[in-house]
Amino acid sequence: MGLVGFSLLLFTYYTIWVIILPFVDSDHVVHQYFLPREYSVILPGIAALILLLCVGTFIGVVTRKNRKPKVD
Amino acid sequence: MTKLLEWVFGVSVIGAAWALVTFDLLNLRLPEAYKEVAWPMPVYLLVVFGCYSLATVGYRVATFNDCEEASKELQDQIKEAKEDLRRKGLKM
Repeated sequence: MGLVGFSLLLFTYYTIWVIILPFVDSDHVVHQYFLPREYSVILPGIAALILLLCVGTFIGVVTRKNRKPKVD
Repeated sequence: MTKLLEWVFGVSVIGAAWALVTFDLLNLRLPEAYKEVAWPMPVYLLVVFGCYSLATVGYRVATFNDCEEASKELQDQIKEAKEDLRRKGLKM
């Protein structure tokens, strides 16, 4: 259930950041809780790269561990 | 038309619409707010899809019922198999 709550939180924050903020006046106080818009693309990009890195590392480790000596 | 062609067609239509708004290719001079909303759209849709997947997985894992009968049946089958193998000489 924590996973559901976390993903709901993430969805709400990201939706407000991407879709709602451009329509809010730039001197409204809510803007101070959000990073500049460029980060709304950069941060998911970095997260995707880290995910790919973790998956690749995991596959590499498991492959190396299960390598049998050459069978002929 | 194959499914692949349908998907490619749909994706390219949506991609063209997005590019039109983001890069202002037709010089429509939309209000700045619309351009600001449009340009993170591909990343936004990916993040939303990821959130939905996480929520679905989390919810289904949390609400998965215990299967009492199946568990008991499995335990019995394990006992049976062990007996059988013991009889046939396999040391456990």
